[in-house]
Amino acid sequence: MANETKYWKGLAHLNNDSSVVEKNQNEFAEYIPVEEFVTDKGTLEANTSRRDFLKFLGFSTVAATLAACEAPVIKSVPYVNRPDEIIPGVANWYASTFFDGHDYSSIVVKTREGRPIKIEGNTLSKVTMGGTNSRTQASVLSVYDSTRLRGPKAKSGAAWADKSWEDVDKEIGGKLASAKGIAIVSSTIISPSTYRAIGEFSAKYKNVSHVTYDAVSYSGMLKANLSSFGKAMIPTYNFDKADVIVSLSCDFLGNWISPVEHAKQYSMTRKVSADKKTMSRHYQFETMLSLTGANADERFPVKPSQLGQVALGLLNGVGGAGSASSVLSKEIQTVAEALKAAKGKALVVCGSNDAAIQLVVNEINKAIGAYGTTINTSVEDFTHQGDDAAMKSLVEKLGSSVDTVIFYNSNPVYSAPKALAFEAALKKVSTKISFASHVDETAALCDYILPDHNYLEAWGDHMPRTGHYSLQQPAIRPLFSTRHAQESFLRWADNKKDYLSYVKETWQGMQGMQNVYGDFNAFWINCVRDGIFEGTAPVKTEEAPVAAIKTVTVENDSVKADQPAVVTTAAGRGISFTGGTISLDDAKSQIAAMKGGKFELAIYSKTSIGSGNQANNPWLQEMPDPISKITWDNYVTMHPADAQAMNLFGVETESGMMVRFDQMEDNLDVVNVTANGHTVKLPVWVQPGQAKGTIGIAVGYGRKGFNEYVDNIGQNIFPAVAITASGTMGFDAYEASVAKVDGETYRIAATQTHHTMMGRNTDILRETTLAEYLKDERAGNPAVTMHTYKGEQAVEDVNLWNDFERPVHKWNMAIDLNSCIGCGACVVACTIENNVPVVGRDEVRKSREMHWLRIDRYYSSSTVKAEAEEKGEMGTMELYRNMENPTFDNPKVAFQPVMCQHCNHAGCETVCPVIATTHSNEGLNQMTYNRCVGTRYCANNCAYKVRRFNWFNYVEYHRFKGLNPAQDDIGRMVLNPDVTVRARGVMEKCSMCAQRIQAGKLEAKKAGRKVIDGEIKTACMQSCPTDAIIFGDVLDPESKVAKMVKDGRKFEVLEVVGTQPNVFYMTKVWNREDKNAHI
Amino acid sequence: MNSLWQNVRSTRLVVLFSLAFFVLASNAFAQDGKALFKSKCSSCHTITDKASTGPGLKDVLNRIPAGDWKYNWVKNPAAVIKSGDSYIAGLYPAKFKTIMTGFPDLKNEEIDAILAYASAGPQDVATTPGATGPVGPEVVQDENNPWFIIAIIIALLIVLITTLRFTKIHLRNALNEKEGRPEEPAQPFLTASRSWVNNNKKLVGFLGFFLFCYLVVQGWYVLKGVGVYAEEVKPDQWVGYHPSQPINFSHKIHAGDNGIQCQYCHSGVEKSKHASIPSVNVCMNCHKAISQTKNEGSAEEIQKIYTAAGYDPANGTYTLVPQPLRWNKVHNLPDHVYFSHQQHVVVGGVACETCHGDVKKMGTIEQQRPLTMGWCIDCHRNTPLKMEGNGYYTELHEKMKEKYKGQPITVAMAGGLECGRCHY
Repeated sequence: MANETKYWKGLAHLNNDSSVVEKNQNEFAEYIPVEEFVTDKGTLEANTSRRDFLKFLGFSTVAATLAACEAPVIKSVPYVNRPDEIIPGVANWYASTFFDGHDYSSIVVKTREGRPIKIEGNTLSKVTMGGTNSRTQASVLSVYDSTRLRGPKAKSGAAWADKSWEDVDKEIGGKLASAKGIAIVSSTIISPSTYRAIGEFSAKYKNVSHVTYDAVSYSGMLKANLSSFGKAMIPTYNFDKADVIVSLSCDFLGNWISPVEHAKQYSMTRKVSADKKTMSRHYQFETMLSLTGANADERFPVKPSQLGQVALGLLNGVGGAGSASSVLSKEIQTVAEALKAAKGKALVVCGSNDAAIQLVVNEINKAIGAYGTTINTSVEDFTHQGDDAAMKSLVEKLGSSVDTVIFYNSNPVYSAPKALAFEAALKKVSTKISFASHVDETAALCDYILPDHNYLEAWGDHMPRTGHYSLQQPAIRPLFSTRHAQESFLRWADNKKDYLSYVKETWQGMQGMQNVYGDFNAFWINCVRDGIFEGTAPVKTEEAPVAAIKTVTVENDSVKADQPAVVTTAAGRGISFTGGTISLDDAKSQIAAMKGGKFELAIYSKTSIGSGNQANNPWLQEMPDPISKITWDNYVTMHPADAQAMNLFGVETESGMMVRFDQMEDNLDVVNVTANGHTVKLPVWVQPGQAKGTIGIAVGYGRKGFNEYVDNIGQNIFPAVAITASGTMGFDAYEASVAKVDGETYRIAATQTHHTMMGRNTDILRETTLAEYLKDERAGNPAVTMHTYKGEQAVEDVNLWNDFERPVHKWNMAIDLNSCIGCGACVVACTIENNVPVVGRDEVRKSREMHWLRIDRYYSSSTVKAEAEEKGEMGTMELYRNMENPTFDNPKVAFQPVMCQHCNHAGCETVCPVIATTHSNEGLNQMTYNRCVGTRYCANNCAYKVRRFNWFNYVEYHRFKGLNPAQDDIGRMVLNPDVTVRARGVMEKCSMCAQRIQAGKLEAKKAGRKVIDGEIKTACMQSCPTDAIIFGDVLDPESKVAKMVKDGRKFEVLEVVGTQPNVFYMTKVWNREDKNAHI
Repeated sequence: MNSLWQNVRSTRLVVLFSLAFFVLASNAFAQDGKALFKSKCSSCHTITDKASTGPGLKDVLNRIPAGDWKYNWVKNPAAVIKSGDSYIAGLYPAKFKTIMTGFPDLKNEEIDAILAYASAGPQDVATTPGATGPVGPEVVQDENNPWFIIAIIIALLIVLITTLRFTKIHLRNALNEKEGRPEEPAQPFLTASRSWVNNNKKLVGFLGFFLFCYLVVQGWYVLKGVGVYAEEVKPDQWVGYHPSQPINFSHKIHAGDNGIQCQYCHSGVEKSKHASIPSVNVCMNCHKAISQTKNEGSAEEIQKIYTAAGYDPANGTYTLVPQPLRWNKVHNLPDHVYFSHQQHVVVGGVACETCHGDVKKMGTIEQQRPLTMGWCIDCHRNTPLKMEGNGYYTELHEKMKEKYKGQPITVAMAGGLECGRCHY
């Protein structure tokens, strides 16, 4: 059963090799270089004599005395004219939209004294439903990026010269007028007003073409859907209506189309409670172990070249015109049966960008009745319109019929496949203009860079899908001399309008879509307040998502009621797609032709970095990858058996493993990977669950043009993207060569095996299967008892301490492991909310990451003690060794967010010599930084290893320059003024967002009422796209958390220790056939 | 020696006494007159020639009828009017409508003092302390400064010693001459001092010891003065802190004399954790109309508001470049303290004065409470928690009443001493 299952935190842990054993036994996971310091010759041979010492002593005494003479005078500078809506100390919230060509989110921006400091989801949006992901959360930092360009630049020779906007407009205007052909290369645009602006620009100049180019392309889907439905489009998916979900290499929870929405829908089908005892079943066929695959009930590793066959096999299985697969035929049959059984409530999704495979998937979905139920084709998603064929034909035209290129939010020199030879073609173009915010790879080759506003400084509108509009309003004045890219288009089209008026003009055309507001200004103001407009009336709610969503005052004169603008949206004109169609027979023959080499390469997007738009965001870089737990790097993932065959970790061990795990983190072997003519040199990370004979490399790394630190992170794998037989960009290379680089190793920065749970894994994460759960609510979650002289007693009755009084509140946090998908949005949200310092790669290598909230990822093994004992084939030693032995091929994975557990009987509190950590009467474990003297006893005594020590003054020490955002004056503005920035030498940890609790209580006290459940949300709870984290007061019997305490699935981590934590978890329930499949 | 000392002491006494007498004598009546005028008359009269409710009193002694008229008038004006006095008939009711209030309690001498003060008109000496320029700590001019006397004594002693020394040398020379001994060679000063020191080791050692002790003690006080060592942690070491401000703003005039509510300017106090220093536009609400008051230097100070606001008083427009004011913060808490004004003022119902002192009487704002953690905690220990009528506390109130039967329930009992309430 569950608590007999052994979990292992990594291959090294699994193999129980010496390094892990040592780490488990050591008090500190990290190495403290005392020896090095005292044996340092320089230190010992210091030539300071006793006299000098006394002089220094005397001098410093006098200096300290003199310094103490003057008391600091603190200046206070009030506003000259305080804006009405700003009250110093009170946050304002503005609804806005985040869209960077990859992720879309309707958001609310928290501003303090006029500067945005936090982003939260807009609960009014029916698209993202109040969810955000880590990239959206972290994007608030981008506005304070001091390396952004501060004004327009023109190339003069090899250098860049600063120009004024008037000058560049004049120069560019002249060049555009004489241009033969102009191409605008942009990532997907979903903004109606931007379409209008580009339209005006196109009308003014001759031969203007607009190419939509996405780094991570969905052309395959567009082409397949054009073939199936006669319209190039991406439908919307309703995972919440699916009982059976089959994913073919589709990371729909982390990266696919609209991951936040999918995660939200998916979690609805995964939650179980006393009222809802059904769950969806999720099958995953994939190459990499992805975030989505880790959450699947059943997962089958396949090679990229076999994916088409699997799709055809499924089609065959559900009764369509497919063909039997030569691989995994039995499993495919099982899945097909499940799909057929759930007809109308089933869904197959595919992450491949190969039109042939997508077409087969369309056929499967038709056969299982997904269209109209789990897939909605009448509501289209517009967020991914990249047209690979158009890009290909543009490259042919560059330098001949196109002599001017304008890049808008697009960086093809970095992201285009090598096969396109984009860079060489670009050099033939005479005028190149970029709107980039940095001198990025493409902008570096341009003649002009006209930096666009950051999205938090800009107006804008978006239409993510049919009938859904959202507005983007600025939350801060532009920091630098930047300009809306749309205004640039308008200027060149001789339109002098400012972009705000222009957006309003567009929205005037939409006023007719509703009949609540007859007056445009009323309509506009409500749309700005809500941030969204979903076709009918703007949602009118008394309860806005947050207390004070403010709107800007609208000047009447800028809107001319007699000239309604024409709405030119993607919906109106359709997604422009030039890729043509494909027939099912062609698809089948293309799939039949897919043959793999010795190694196949899967190119994937990480949950943190995505397509690399925010590669210079230190919060995202430091967020551990959900699966590998690696920060600050990309790497080659490889199946352990392949690594062994490559002699990468070739030392034989007793258990027969051929992997040198003790060297794993510190000395990763480095390989050269060549695919599609592009070679990268990267370290190899042995990844269980990876399909044999495949490797995986993440995109978004190897960016250039930011600062020294960021420009040296990982390698760019985009050039290895293939052009498939169906003409789209294939993010798999069927033929890749891997060669070991002799004599070179790399030390990776992983948070993986640090802070182990001391080998007591059985008390940590509890699981069961749905079948068991239906029989017994407490399945997999037996009561924990202790042997006492009175007999077996419940742990909480065996008590050394007196209980605390809880006069008003008892804050508890419930974490539903069934909902948690391990995406890490909470980690980033916590970092932002609590001013958690970024420490960089070197410090993470030393296990000195500061995250208050970590997500533990456990692989589990398939040897079950009870079964094995029954069979009696193994001796005890062998049994335990095997229990630590997983099937490398396909381990089950479970995630567990761990933050300070706020124990009622906390180990840390009793050992602090200066009473810096104390217990509150509301159940919080408080940390008083100013009392802390840094003994770190508390960290040693913490059963959960959640305390973090400030080894350095991260905000001032020069070593962290360029990576810690608080190091420069602009970046520092993102800090939350309600949370202390910790000094060197003090301990810190999760405070349960004490600042939010205090603020929430104060609101209640002022109103003379009790705290309303759900009113106070911790940052992690707020950011969670799947509502896996619930915070509340258990003394309030109506609160969600009070009900969850009584649920049969409730358990506490390390309950047997008797810490009585205020954070508890809900047993993970899997929907698997096999009784023991939860292991 | 003895007589000399007596001499000096008596001289000092004489000097002191005469000084004190002089000072007191010259100020006595004027002081009384001023104080009396302020308390009894200033609401209706000025000491200039400008009329207010009543006539301006400058040169009043030169125009009123001589003799006892002034006493009669002040003590019972109605009677004087009734008597058909010719002087007052020219003023009342022709120029002034209101009959003056009588002050029958005033003594004749007091009336003389008032009139003498008022009649003299405004003096050049500033009457409002620090009316212009930044206000620093006032330098106390102590006329009884002992150092002055000690310096004189030292000077006298030096003169005495020198004289005696010369006398001694001359005498010795004369003696030598008389006895026929050769004249002693004149030693260089250094050699002489050295030999003197050698001959008087005890005395020098004694003096040196005293000098050493004196320097140590003095050094100690100097260091203590700059805060190197405080005898105990003085909870009130910041009490009295009143830095000069860019505008010589008086809370006494605004909150005291004019009774403006604190919240009018410190508008954040009920909405935010910061009470907040008002922005200049709040000042302009009133001062757009009030460019000068009767207080001296007011025009210059109010002009500073205009400068800050970019207001052009001549045209009544905001056309100049605003220059934000940089106030010196008086009530400071360390950065790691999260103190919320709204918690204390709105929920706790704490009066502003509890922490800020009697602001209504402060010309220059000064810190009157220690604002230390100990002080906060003392208050939390002793202040009853304001629970009545607040729905948030209903259950707590019930629980607490039961637990602490009859005892007052303080903030501390509800967790008001916990670290995490203010430090996070």
